[in-house]
Amino acid sequence: MSDARSTILSAVSSALERRRGGSPAAEEATIAAEAERLRARADATRPDRLRGGPETAFLERLVSAAVAASAERVATLAEFPAAVRRYLTAKGLASSVAMQPHPDLLALDWPQIETHGQIHIDEPVAVGLALGAIAETGTLVFHSGPTSPTLFAFLPAHHIVAIEARRIWSWLEDYADAIAGRAQPRNVNLITGPSGTTDIEGTLVRGAHGPGWLHVVLVGSADAQQSSNN
Amino acid sequence: MNAAPQRPSFDARVHAALGNPLLKVAIDRTTGNARSKRAAAMAAWPGFAAARELGRDIKDHVIAHLDHYLVQFERNALASGAQIHWARNGPEACEMVVAICRKAGARSVTRAKSMLGEEIGLPHALEAAGIERVETDLAEHIIQLAGDPPSHIVWPALHKTREQVAELFRAHHHDPGALASVEAMVASARHELRSRFLAADVGISGANFLVADTGAVCTVTNEGNAELTTTPPRVHIVTAGIEKLVPSTAHAMTLLRLLVRSATGAELTQYTTFHCGPKRPGDLDGPTEFHIVLVDGGRTRMLAEGLADMLRCIRCGACLNHCVVYRQIGGHAYGSTYPGPMGSVLTPMLTGLAQSKDLPRACTLNGQCQEVCPVAIPLPTLLRGWRSRLWSSGLESLTVRQGLAVWRFLALHPALYRRVSGWAVRIMSWFARGGWIRRMPLAGGWTRERDLPRPPDRTFIAQYRRRMRRP
Repeated sequence: MSDARSTILSAVSSALERRRGGSPAAEEATIAAEAERLRARADATRPDRLRGGPETAFLERLVSAAVAASAERVATLAEFPAAVRRYLTAKGLASSVAMQPHPDLLALDWPQIETHGQIHIDEPVAVGLALGAIAETGTLVFHSGPTSPTLFAFLPAHHIVAIEARRIWSWLEDYADAIAGRAQPRNVNLITGPSGTTDIEGTLVRGAHGPGWLHVVLVGSADAQQSSNN
Repeated sequence: MNAAPQRPSFDARVHAALGNPLLKVAIDRTTGNARSKRAAAMAAWPGFAAARELGRDIKDHVIAHLDHYLVQFERNALASGAQIHWARNGPEACEMVVAICRKAGARSVTRAKSMLGEEIGLPHALEAAGIERVETDLAEHIIQLAGDPPSHIVWPALHKTREQVAELFRAHHHDPGALASVEAMVASARHELRSRFLAADVGISGANFLVADTGAVCTVTNEGNAELTTTPPRVHIVTAGIEKLVPSTAHAMTLLRLLVRSATGAELTQYTTFHCGPKRPGDLDGPTEFHIVLVDGGRTRMLAEGLADMLRCIRCGACLNHCVVYRQIGGHAYGSTYPGPMGSVLTPMLTGLAQSKDLPRACTLNGQCQEVCPVAIPLPTLLRGWRSRLWSSGLESLTVRQGLAVWRFLALHPALYRRVSGWAVRIMSWFARGGWIRRMPLAGGWTRERDLPRPPDRTFIAQYRRRMRRP
């Protein structure tokens, strides 16, 4: 269908030429410079969210009514299994969980929890490790890959996610800048709270197709290191 | 193209909508909610005005260099392992999608809501090809069961009350459950669709943004159905309009802030996903084939014929929620894929002005739509443009043309205008009883539905002159 391709592209070019009054198309460098100026203007438009530092802002946003996740803090990743166990007990859930095949999670000791590497269509609980988080919106970032299959974030009823404090970006653009120019994974999933729908009469109901509950365990504190230097 | 089936006129559809009390309740519930949530989100965002200008400028920049960005996107998407297809129009796009499905031996296809898919008639094309289509967005699932077209671009099942949804689920779900609450209905749909996600051979989605510098396709959903639609099947097909481009992921972020707040009042949808190519070596899930169908469908004509501003539209639905006409008649009365102000601008381009000449008129020009538009599209100006074209292309009825000719003559003769309007208010007051006119010759179009307020005894100019004469 290269015929359609050339038809569309030449229709675009001739319409643009007419709009420009016949002057030639901008050079690639000019277009890039204009795009960069637009990118720079974003910083002044961002909502003011970062008072108290990225960690505080992230946690506040996460547990706000709009995002509706739950959250707790632990000092090290080694405490994550105990946090998972507390969550399972508090919710009255069975102690069998699907484990995202991430080496950092597999290296942990999981006493009194049965873990499996396959995720079932009606999986009650999955445990995962996010690549990062965004403070502005209370968002978790996952990149699909051998240690992070996409479906672990979408099939379970409860998703329990550890995130290391040093991996929090302040703003959406900070994340975008961090990955710019790098090889993209098949999926980048930005996850902001448990699944929901307002499709029936605008009434918000959680747990539409994705998880109904999202519990975040924030590991360590980069902010604390800074303040202990004072 | 098949001939359009005979269907009721715009007036008849509006009449039916206005006479449906359930519809009014349903529209008010959802759009009222949307308006107040959007207002709260904007109040909490002092940067909105600047972001809106930035959003407009980003889209204008992309449109001004659309050829450059299309080629850049194609190059990067190909490098990620995607297959790119170009379609000049809806039928061509549908043909391509069906061909990919056939080649994959697909019996069952899951679909995540896409307005472009509706625009090009993809649901119908899949059915005609004998491929089972499973809509996975809750609202799309509801209207698929009901056999209805969407009535809103963000809430396609907005016209259904909870009681009507419960009835549909009871009739169609294999194991509907109790359905006593909205929660139970959502659970019933989750249960019904669960196994369909994994059984599908092909997943089809749309695109909210196409990211030129990575070749990625961005989708936003709250339910998580898009990822469950696009991850398990062997093949993922994206259909996207060529105007969906953004220069980079960072530019997409500004538009995401604007889009989601304008649509639902949230800051970000629960799931914002960038799909880039097929499954990588070592990946444990994901499709092995990733196809992107880039559709023109009138967009290059919009660019050439003075409608480039409309190519900025990011399909948030705010103009629908704030439109006084949409809020009375709902989406179906428009008789087109896109209802409301943005629809009345797009539809004449997509289907021809002669087939949709009532739509640019279904507007009070109160300017609300432009005010809430997150990319500042001058919708009233564009609608007025269609009205001018209706006039210049002779599509207005003889009555309207003659009426306007009379008015024009009077307006060009002010003394006569004053005299005639002076007679008119006097004659009108003969028909008034207690401040209202119930019936009057030539005013049946108004008085059939409601009373007409009695005008003052004298025209404005007459009153003004009389007052100026006083010392």
